[in-house]
Amino acid sequence: MQTQLVYDPRGIVEAQAMGLAPRIRKIDGLRLAILDNSKWNCNKMLRGVRDELQNKHKFAAVNYFTKDSFSSNATPEQIAEIVANHDIALTAIGD
Amino acid sequence: MSSGAKTARAGVVAAVIPPAGTDLIEWYYAQGYSDGFPLVPPTPEKVAAVMAALGGDAQQLLCRVPPRWGSLTREVLAINMVMAGCLPGYAPVVEAAMLALTAQPFNLNGVQATTHMASPLLIVNGPVRNEIGMNSGCNVFGSGNRANATIGRAIRLMLLNVGGAWPGLLDKSTLGHPGKYTYCIAENEEQSPFAPYHVEHGYKAEDSAVFVLAAEPPHSVTNHFANDPPGILDSICSAMSTICNNNAVSGGHCAVVLGIEHAQTIAKHGWKRHDIRHYLWTHSGNLWKDLYCNERYGKIYNRTLPVWYKREPDARTPIVPSPDNIHVFVAGGEAGRFSAFIPGWGRMSSPVLRALGGAPPAGGANCVDGTCYL
Repeated sequence: MQTQLVYDPRGIVEAQAMGLAPRIRKIDGLRLAILDNSKWNCNKMLRGVRDELQNKHKFAAVNYFTKDSFSSNATPEQIAEIVANHDIALTAIGD
Repeated sequence: MSSGAKTARAGVVAAVIPPAGTDLIEWYYAQGYSDGFPLVPPTPEKVAAVMAALGGDAQQLLCRVPPRWGSLTREVLAINMVMAGCLPGYAPVVEAAMLALTAQPFNLNGVQATTHMASPLLIVNGPVRNEIGMNSGCNVFGSGNRANATIGRAIRLMLLNVGGAWPGLLDKSTLGHPGKYTYCIAENEEQSPFAPYHVEHGYKAEDSAVFVLAAEPPHSVTNHFANDPPGILDSICSAMSTICNNNAVSGGHCAVVLGIEHAQTIAKHGWKRHDIRHYLWTHSGNLWKDLYCNERYGKIYNRTLPVWYKREPDARTPIVPSPDNIHVFVAGGEAGRFSAFIPGWGRMSSPVLRALGGAPPAGGANCVDGTCYL
């Protein structure tokens, strides 16, 4: 019988493993970034969560960012700003 | 992997030897590599023939396909093409299509994962259409042509296998549409009264090119009575002006495929593609109040639409922000007064035009104000 080969059509994924960021133990005094994906109901949900958090905690700063398009990545500038000037970030999908 | 399969050779693509007597069609189904139809089992000879058509070098990386970001090498492309039933001569079209789809402005990551039904539509221009026997005529969106069917299918297989857009896993489309099996046509340049689409964009007529658009299915436009451009185009405007296609609420780009009779009737009056695009843009659209049910559910701004749109009840809301965002093609059989409107996904994705071999527009045609003359 002739040898039959079979093939994997998926191609490899080259990715580097990334660890989780250190867990936050205390929220007070931190700088919070909120990233809104710009979908119809996202701002309602995130602003509600923001208000709840601010009632319970005293942040050093709370800054709100909105993606240009809900179906595209946040811009590199937005991500850089969030990373450089914030300690924690909050995001969600509000369809 | 099937029990008893043995690795036959090292390499990026895992080729294995299944147990003797294995039904290869069922084997590929069992691996989860199929789009639902039986796959053509690749052989080393068939894979090599496609790679040769691409220029050899099996491990040359062409692109990475989101959202899985799998590496699409020439060998992986060849395997998927063979599985889809493609002939080696289709390889330059499939390669160009994958490079167009993975160009950043297309945002394939979003197209693949969205809950919307959009699927990449591929439209081919230039001599390659006839060289590989594509159908640009009767039943152009339908079945019956190997090149159209299997080129579109090969693209879908790569979006599934390399891109990982398996329904329910990374493809979250609520409904999908039949073009997610294959969605590939050619422009009917021979019977079109206008310059080919790619020539309008600065390529030479002897160049071949692919156009990709994240698209809803075609919506038929019937008009058997009008003998002038406005009469025909008003029917297309009607098809464009629903409040529920994705362009209506997300802008972006759309396509119009004029049937031959419609195109020839329009051209007899001296109208060019430029005139068609502007007429369609000017006379389509919705009233803002109709888009949002007269504020029955509150005042809605819609941040996806351009900031310069008036958000007032009686303001006209264009289907797309510019006449240039209406991409006009001519295709189909010579009999029948039909055209098609094809909504796009929205401003989240831009269509891409790419020449086979990556040649830049040569500016060979005489182009004036968006219309090019051969």
